Amino acid sequence: MALSKQKITVLIIALAVGVVVVTKLILSGSSGTVDPVAARTKGPKQAKVNIVEFIDFECPACAYGAKQLKEYTDRYPDDIRVQVKYYPLMNIHHHALQVASYAECVARQGKFWPFFDMLMPQQSQWSPLINADGVFDEMAKGAGVDMNKLKSCLSSEDVTTTIMSEKALGRSLGVQSTPTYFINDQMVVGTKSLEEELNKYFPKISK
Amino acid sequence: MLVILRIFIGLVLLVSGFDKIISPYQNFLYVIQAYQMFPDWLEKFVAICVPWVELMVGIFVILGLWFNWSLKGALLLFTCFIVIVGQALLRHLPLDQCGCFGSAIHIPVQHIIVFDSLMLLSIFWLMRHPFKAKKLSLDQYLDLPNPRR
Repeated sequence: MALSKQKITVLIIALAVGVVVVTKLILSGSSGTVDPVAARTKGPKQAKVNIVEFIDFECPACAYGAKQLKEYTDRYPDDIRVQVKYYPLMNIHHHALQVASYAECVARQGKFWPFFDMLMPQQSQWSPLINADGVFDEMAKGAGVDMNKLKSCLSSEDVTTTIMSEKALGRSLGVQSTPTYFINDQMVVGTKSLEEELNKYFPKISK
Repeated sequence: MLVILRIFIGLVLLVSGFDKIISPYQNFLYVIQAYQMFPDWLEKFVAICVPWVELMVGIFVILGLWFNWSLKGALLLFTCFIVIVGQALLRHLPLDQCGCFGSAIHIPVQHIIVFDSLMLLSIFWLMRHPFKAKKLSLDQYLDLPNPRR
């Protein structure tokens, strides 16, 4: 009788593992791939480290991650290629979608990186504002954007579609939180893991 | 009543474990890192192993198989969760969500510690009434002296 109980135990464990494996297989079958070519990219194509970042511009860890990543891209500009993709967390950050729309419209004028480099270090100042459009306008102006084009772009539905389709892509790749990076296709979540992964390719940057 | 409670406790663990296992382990690793409690070498191990332990303990509690042991396993898990969340609250770590259920359910840390404590008390209650809690369990069926099988 004890053997029967043990056999049933083994059967249940095998069944549970089987269900998990099948579910993972189904999910991996429906997942997308990270598009390596897009407007929000910097760094040479032949760079040895290719990073795709899924970002919510209002998430504090993303601001820290942007600072960390900038230290590496400034020091190793020929070795790192970075691409930013949208993953706005609208349920916890009330500017998330609006700031992503600004970023997309600015990117369509080829000014994403100057805008990004102003946006992220000042996150703690604009994030608590009820309406931060004025701040985003000023940053866009500072980045050299045509404001008329920007305004008409912001009212375009196509912008939201682009943002949400990138978020859907992220979800299909298993992204749940921000910042999530794919470093040479290796998924890395959070700034601590980002630094650990980057230190596999580059010497540690002392602070 | 105790049977429903047993199944509920098991389901909590099963859902929590399953959701973490089917998504990339890096997501749960990020959650563990946010609690700032484990050394680096242990974080990855915990991120990979704990969801499997949750899943298996959950299944065994629901089915009532090796019930005394699986209940002790659940007790250990919830005790660990309370300690981990408790230390994060005491240290005022900036955690919006507990991250306990993967992407399935979002619960603030202040709420989850109450929930985990209630789960712990429920497990103690089940331990005090093992015969009632074992109703409709595999143990009840398999441990019979001469079951007609």
